[in-house]
Amino acid sequence: MSQLVKQDQFVTRDNVKNLHKPGEKLITTHCCYCGMQCGMHIRVEEKTGKVVGVEPRYDWPVTKGKMCPKGVTAYQTIEHPDRITKPLIKKNGQFHAVSWKEALDYIESNFKRIQRDHGKDALSVFGGVSMTNEKCYLVGKYARVGLGTRYIDYNGRFCMSSAAGGMLKTFGIDRGMTLPVPELEHTDCFFLAGSNSAECHPTSTQWLWKAKDKGAKLIVADPREVPIARVADVHLDLKPGTDSALAAGIIHLLIKEGYVDNEYVQERCNNFEELKQSVAHCTPEYTSQVTGVVVEKLVKAAHIYGQSPRSVVMFARGVEQQSKGVHNVQMYITMSLLRGMVGKFASGCGTFTGQGNGQGGREHGQKADLLPGYRKLTDPKAVEYISGVWGIDPKDMPQPGVSAYEMFDLIHNNTIRGMHVICSNPAVSAPNGNYVNEAFKKLDFLVVSDFFLSETAEHADVVLPTTTWAEDDGTTTNLEGRVIRIRKVRDPLGESKPDWEIVSLIAERMGKGKFFPYQTAHEIFEEFRVASKGGPADYYGITWDRIDKEDGVFWPCPSEDHPGSPHMFKERFGTEDGKANLGVFNWTEPGETQSAEYPLVLTTGRVVFHYLSGNQTRRVDFLMEQCPLPYAEMHPELAARNNLANGDKVKLTTRRGHMTVDVRLTKTIRKDTIFIPYHWGKELSVNQLTNPALDPYSRMPEFKVCAVKIEKA
Amino acid sequence: MKKVMYLEFERCIGCRSCQAACRECGDHEYKERNYVEYVDFMESRQTFPMMCMQCKDPACARVCPANAIQITAEGVVLSAMEEKCIGCRNCTFGCPFGIPKFDFEANKMYKCDMCYDRTKEDIPPMCASVCPSEAIRFIDFDEMQALRRSRARMNLIEGKKPSEGNKWNFVPEFFGVYSE
Repeated sequence: MSQLVKQDQFVTRDNVKNLHKPGEKLITTHCCYCGMQCGMHIRVEEKTGKVVGVEPRYDWPVTKGKMCPKGVTAYQTIEHPDRITKPLIKKNGQFHAVSWKEALDYIESNFKRIQRDHGKDALSVFGGVSMTNEKCYLVGKYARVGLGTRYIDYNGRFCMSSAAGGMLKTFGIDRGMTLPVPELEHTDCFFLAGSNSAECHPTSTQWLWKAKDKGAKLIVADPREVPIARVADVHLDLKPGTDSALAAGIIHLLIKEGYVDNEYVQERCNNFEELKQSVAHCTPEYTSQVTGVVVEKLVKAAHIYGQSPRSVVMFARGVEQQSKGVHNVQMYITMSLLRGMVGKFASGCGTFTGQGNGQGGREHGQKADLLPGYRKLTDPKAVEYISGVWGIDPKDMPQPGVSAYEMFDLIHNNTIRGMHVICSNPAVSAPNGNYVNEAFKKLDFLVVSDFFLSETAEHADVVLPTTTWAEDDGTTTNLEGRVIRIRKVRDPLGESKPDWEIVSLIAERMGKGKFFPYQTAHEIFEEFRVASKGGPADYYGITWDRIDKEDGVFWPCPSEDHPGSPHMFKERFGTEDGKANLGVFNWTEPGETQSAEYPLVLTTGRVVFHYLSGNQTRRVDFLMEQCPLPYAEMHPELAARNNLANGDKVKLTTRRGHMTVDVRLTKTIRKDTIFIPYHWGKELSVNQLTNPALDPYSRMPEFKVCAVKIEKA
Repeated sequence: MKKVMYLEFERCIGCRSCQAACRECGDHEYKERNYVEYVDFMESRQTFPMMCMQCKDPACARVCPANAIQITAEGVVLSAMEEKCIGCRNCTFGCPFGIPKFDFEANKMYKCDMCYDRTKEDIPPMCASVCPSEAIRFIDFDEMQALRRSRARMNLIEGKKPSEGNKWNFVPEFFGVYSE
């Protein structure tokens, strides 16, 4: 058995070899980007404290030292020359560096003016989940206690909310994965839906390959032959926006062919009869007609999936970022439940969490309707408990607000007049970009906390310099629900401050300083342990010490002697009756369908070299060399019909906007679909074109489907 | 050095982590020495990584008129020695894998040295360390042999391999789909 070795901030095992260069120390942490949260050591020069590079963390059980190109170069953002190191105030359209005191004075007077003239709710907070649990928790408290506004929501609304919604509806608890990642090695069949996992969560590939080496089968549902689909046993090349129908078609076959685990379904699931009726008409022929996938592939996929003794269904933004994202998720989860997989070894289902702390960030009260510990703001008991922890009167707890995109509607109708954007770049990442950018221009007062001048920050009246992930301690929760430790690698650059310190300073100016007495991130962790106690996402038993010793701790973990919960739903689900609610199929078209005027489908997504709005990765040389500009991926047959050749410029137009990009031809995409990556801002932003049709339950916009026309530019 | 580099092109997902990581190796001066290419982007997303084969009798060293390319006792073919390299670029033409590259500013060649500072201690080179799909591995000789044997075994179980154009159509017999 290998032993844990901890020297200062370097955590490893005694049987692992790393290269220690003389004069350098290694500090153990995790990547700042996606939900895989790959383990890494950052190399720091001992004399100067400068960050000089990265060293693989071979003993991190989830990723084994593997990193994608974003992860390898992540450290380069820490001391990047573009970092904002002083507060900036905009005067006559130009940013000027000012002192913290001047910036806070300015914010205080404007925030107080807006709230005096237009009420408390005229201010709003737009949060993000690429920051630690400690910060996410405090952003929620800042909005509700510091500013006293109901309007807080976060960028996870554009990322994870449909997965969360689907999980809540089906399981009663929203946890990204029902099994730990290292178990995937023993899975017999993967059904990946709407997940470009090789590009968006590259380090998960090793587990798929390990299983495949043992004969595991791989089924991929995606309009494009994404890199992982290249080796799939079946690639279901469905039309964007038809996921629920595809899942219903597979479920129809599972039932027809007798692949349903009847005992499990009877004992642990509701709605089976309703489900059966709802998919009765979903024959392979019907499904093929709706999804555009040929009948033979559907049948083969159902047989492979149905016969596999241990299967895992994974889904991601492809199925979630739709106006029926929650329903899609429910239907895919239902596939897993019908086979009796959830709660067992090496089987189950899950979502590939997009943002680094997408899981943890949504559990601690940044969502419009949630309080820490995944408590509901509409539940009087939850309000009472959290008010107790925060030391406020339950009557002062604001009501639930609205979702992220709807906040921009409220700016347009003058309900919201001031906004504080923290760790997010909605000017690029929100759908219907022109409308969103108009909203930012319309705002009376905008504060943005960021460490690079993002497209959103350019609209700001005040920009506050925050630290990167490497300049503060804290925890995040990865895609498995494993709470892990982020370490401080160096002191804050220039005059930058961690987000929790910034919101505490503003809260103090708003006269709420006594609720924000923190000196370190650890104090905040200790507070939200208590705040989450007894909630569905219970962190009470997790300590920073345990995280090091146990390679992270899975929530729920209600007490310090509780081992944590790597597997969810072993005996019962989180619903009231302990049974899972199977989805009941109800076909709806996407928010926008093809028409004579807009005859094609536009779908958006990611490339391996960039992360979210690209505010960080577009500043890293290596990544920009690999992928400097967005492009339109299309089939050569579609291109030929429109007289387009590789490298030509194509103008794409939807009902909301237009843009011009280069054509990239490949046969690995459907002939009626065009793909554009979304990591760029302004005239390069594909979100000028996307449709803000919202899911009725999760309020997730439909980034993945809209109708488009093309012409040679 | 007890371990060998083992490449499986089929596993490559084209993320170019190996390239990014190559720059991070301490002695590589932020220049990568490997490359990843699409086989044919129009047809498929298949990519392949290419790094130095560390040839037993390397063409680059043989064509070097200045004997600047040294081979270590373990068989690692190093970059040209700075004081010997005359900048003739013979090595860049001689190598069949396109590995040696030429730095026109410094007037000298540079190439993959298998992260010698790491591998001489049996620490995996950067490319193999980070490769998310294990297309590049740094493993024991015996492990490599076992992997190759298991690959052959899997092919036997499956009976046949999918080929271009029919891979979605391909399901192994033991699932019984083709039984009728």
